[in-house]
Amino acid sequence: MFRGDRRTKRRGVSRRLLAKPTFVLPGMVIVALVVISLFPGFFAGLFGNGDPYHADLAYSQDGPCPGHPFGFDLQGRDIWANVIYGTRTSVAVGLTATVLSMAIALVLGTAAGYRPGLVDSLITRLTEVFLGFPFLLAAIVVLNSVSRRDVWSVSLVLGVFGWPALARLVRASVRQVCQLDYVVAARVAGLPSRRIIIRHVLPNAITPVLILATIGIGAVIVAESSLTYLGVGLQQPTISWGLQIAAGSRNFQTAPHMLVFSSAFLSLTVLAIICLGEALRSSLDPKRLA
Amino acid sequence: MKTNRTTAVMSASCALALTLALAACGGGGGDPAPTGSGTPSADSAITVGIATVDHLTPGNQETAYDVLLPLFAPLVSIDETGQVSYVQAESIDSSDGITWTVKLRDGWTFHNGEKVTADSYINAWNHAAYGPNAWINNFELAPIAGYAEMQGEAPAAEALSGLSKVDDTTFTVELSVADRQFPLQLSDAQTAFYPMPAAAFEDLDAYDVNPIGNGPFQMTEPWDVAGQGDIVLAAYPDYAGDKPAISQINYKIYIDIATAYTDALAGTLDVANVAGSKTAVAREDFGDRFMPLDAPSVDWLGFNPDDPRFDDIRVRQALSMAIDREAVNDAIFSGSQVPATSLTSPNMPGNPDGICGEYCEFHPDQAKELLAQAGGLEGSVEVLFVGGWGQEDMFEALATQLSQNLGIEAVATPSTDFADFQARRDAGQYSLLRGHWGALYASQQNTLRAAFTADGLGNNATFYSNPEVDALINEADSAPTLEAAYEGYVKVQERILADFPTIPTFANRFLWVTSERIDTMPSTQGSPFYARITLK
Repeated sequence: MFRGDRRTKRRGVSRRLLAKPTFVLPGMVIVALVVISLFPGFFAGLFGNGDPYHADLAYSQDGPCPGHPFGFDLQGRDIWANVIYGTRTSVAVGLTATVLSMAIALVLGTAAGYRPGLVDSLITRLTEVFLGFPFLLAAIVVLNSVSRRDVWSVSLVLGVFGWPALARLVRASVRQVCQLDYVVAARVAGLPSRRIIIRHVLPNAITPVLILATIGIGAVIVAESSLTYLGVGLQQPTISWGLQIAAGSRNFQTAPHMLVFSSAFLSLTVLAIICLGEALRSSLDPKRLA
Repeated sequence: MKTNRTTAVMSASCALALTLALAACGGGGGDPAPTGSGTPSADSAITVGIATVDHLTPGNQETAYDVLLPLFAPLVSIDETGQVSYVQAESIDSSDGITWTVKLRDGWTFHNGEKVTADSYINAWNHAAYGPNAWINNFELAPIAGYAEMQGEAPAAEALSGLSKVDDTTFTVELSVADRQFPLQLSDAQTAFYPMPAAAFEDLDAYDVNPIGNGPFQMTEPWDVAGQGDIVLAAYPDYAGDKPAISQINYKIYIDIATAYTDALAGTLDVANVAGSKTAVAREDFGDRFMPLDAPSVDWLGFNPDDPRFDDIRVRQALSMAIDREAVNDAIFSGSQVPATSLTSPNMPGNPDGICGEYCEFHPDQAKELLAQAGGLEGSVEVLFVGGWGQEDMFEALATQLSQNLGIEAVATPSTDFADFQARRDAGQYSLLRGHWGALYASQQNTLRAAFTADGLGNNATFYSNPEVDALINEADSAPTLEAAYEGYVKVQERILADFPTIPTFANRFLWVTSERIDTMPSTQGSPFYARITLK
C-alpha cells in the first residue's frame, strides 16, 4: 500500500511538471546543451568551419559572415565553434564539481544526520569551518598555487569547496527521515545501519538535495567563468566561456560581438538551470503535495 | 528556508565575483581631480599617471625614472630623433676612448643652492659603485676602471680608481676598456650617472624620499613612500638650463597602471601610458592625442638551453620563419609595434635593419621544409610568459602561428606572476620563453652586451654567449669613431645571427595618450620629457 501511494505521488509530480512551461522550456534548453556537449564536433561544424583552434589573423575581430555566424575573435578563430566547444567545458566542470560536492555532502551529511552526538558535532563544526571561507576567495587562493589548471583540477577545487551547504541539507533531511516510523521500525527490527541508510533513509531524504545540487550546477558554471575571467581558472588551450569573455572584454569597445555570444550562452545556461531547479522545487514542495 | 540558504550562497558568490571584477578595473581611480597643493599657477600644472615607484635615489631605483627625469639634469641627453646634446656637461672628450675628460657647465646649482661640481659626480658614482651599498643601478658603473675592486662583501677599494678630479668643474674618467659609446652611457636613463649634492650623504634615507637634484624641477614635499602618495614637483626657479613652460608636475601613482587609462579618458590625467593591446581603443578614444613613441627595447623568444629538441639551428630558424610578425602586429597591436628585422631596436643609431634577413620574415613553406630536414619537432612546445601583464593575446597569437604553420603543438603558458615566471624559468619548465630588453641608452652596444654576453642582465632569456662575439663587441666598442663602432656592431649581429640563438619578434613602441591641454610632448627613447611639455 505504501509503495503504491508513492508511485501515484511520483506520477502526479511528473504530470504536473510536464504541464509547466517553467519546467519544459529550461528543460529543453538543458537537453540541447547536454546534446551539444556530447557531440560538439557535429554542432561546431554545422556552418562548415568546425575547428575551434583554427586561427587566421587576417580575419581578426571580423563580424558575422556566411559560414561564420558569430564572426571571428581576436586570434581570427571562429566564435561559433569556440562557443560550442566551450559548452562542453562548462557542462563538464558544472557536472564534475557538483557530483563531487554531492558525494562528499552525502557521505558527511548522512553520517552526521544518522549518528547524533560526537560524529554529528565533529562534522557540523567541519562544515561550518568550510562555510566560513568565502567560496570564491578560497578557490582563488588554492587555484593560484595549482600549476596546471584544466577542467579536472578546476572541478576538483570547486567541488571540494562547494559541499558544505549541501552537507547541511543532507544532514537535516536525513535527521528528519530518521525520526519517521518506518526507520524506527527498521532499527527495532535489527537491520544493519548500512541497509537502513541505503534502502530507507537516503531514497527518502535525497529529493531536496538533488534540487539544490541542480541549482548548484549553475552556480559552479558561473564560478568557473568568474575565476577564469580573473585569470585563475581554466587556461589555454582549454576552450572555455570564461576565457572567451575575458578576451572579448579586453576588446569590447572595438569588437563587441566577441563578448556577446559567449556571455549570452553562459547566461542562458545558468538561467535555464536555475529555472529548472525552481520548477522542481515548487513541484516537489511537500506543502503543495499535501 | 533551505532554498533561501542556496540563494544566499549563490548571490554571495556572485556579489563577490562582481566586486572582484569591479576592483580589477576600478582600483586606484579614487580622486576625481588633481590636487595642486596651494600652487599659484595651477593652470600650468600637469598631472601624470605612473606605475608604483620603489625609490627616488637615482643610483638606487628601478621604477622612478619618470619622476627623476625632471628632477635631474643628465650630463648628456638624447632626444627622439637620436640627437645627442650636452646638458650639465659642457664637453666630454677623449683621444683614445679610454680616458674621458668631462667638463661641467659653471654656475649650475642643486635645488638646495649647492654648486654642481666634479665632486658631486665623483661622490655619487663612488657610492653607487661600492658593492656593499647594494644600489640597484650599481651595474651601470661597471665600465669604469676600478669597479671590479669595489664589488663583493669586503671589497679592496672604496672608490673608483678611474675617477679623478682636475678642478671644480672638470674630472676625468678612465675606463677598463676603450669605449666610444661612453658619452651615450651618460645620457638620461642611466640614472646612476646623475650627480648628488653633499647634503644627500648626510642622511640618505631622507634623501630617498626627498631627493635634491640639479634639474628643472624640485620636490615640493617629502614623498609618502609607504602610502605611495602623489609626488608633486614644482619648477626650480634658479635652474640654469632651458626654462620649462609648465610650473608643476603631479605624479599620481597607480597600483594597476591600466586604470590610468580610464582617468586619462575622464580628463583627470594629462599624460598616461597605454598597453600595446589597447592600441585600437586608444586610437579611437584619443585620435591624434594618441602617441606611439619609438623605444630602444626589443622582444624575443628564447629557447630552453637544456631542451635537446632545439639543438639543431634549423629548428630554431624554422620556428622563427613560421611567425607572421606583420599579421600578429596588425591583429594584436593594431600595427603599433615594429616587427623585428634585427637583434636591436631600429631607433638605435646605425641599426642594421633587415640584417636578420629571411629568418625574421614569414616563409611558412620554407619553415616546414627546414623543420622536416632537421627531423621535425615532437611533443608539446610550451611558450612561457608572464601572466597578468596583458600579453596573453600576443603569446597566444605567437603560439598559434607556430602550431598552425608548422603543424606542431605549441601552447602559450602564462605564469601566475613575475616571481612564478622566474621560478619556472630557473627550474627549466618551458620550451620557449619571453625575452625582453629595454636599453637604457640608445646604442646597440647596450642590448647586445645585455642579452648576448654571459654577464649581461638580459642573458637569462637568451642563455647565449660566444667568445667570438665578446671579441667583436670589444672591437666595436674601441673603434676610433662612432661610425666605425656602428659598423662593428653590425658584425656582432651578423655573428650572433649565424648561431640564431633567439627568435626576434618585435621592437617596441611605448604608447601614450595626452589630454587636450597638452600642445607638444617631446620625448627621449620612448619616454616623455615631462619638463619640456608645452600647454595650449
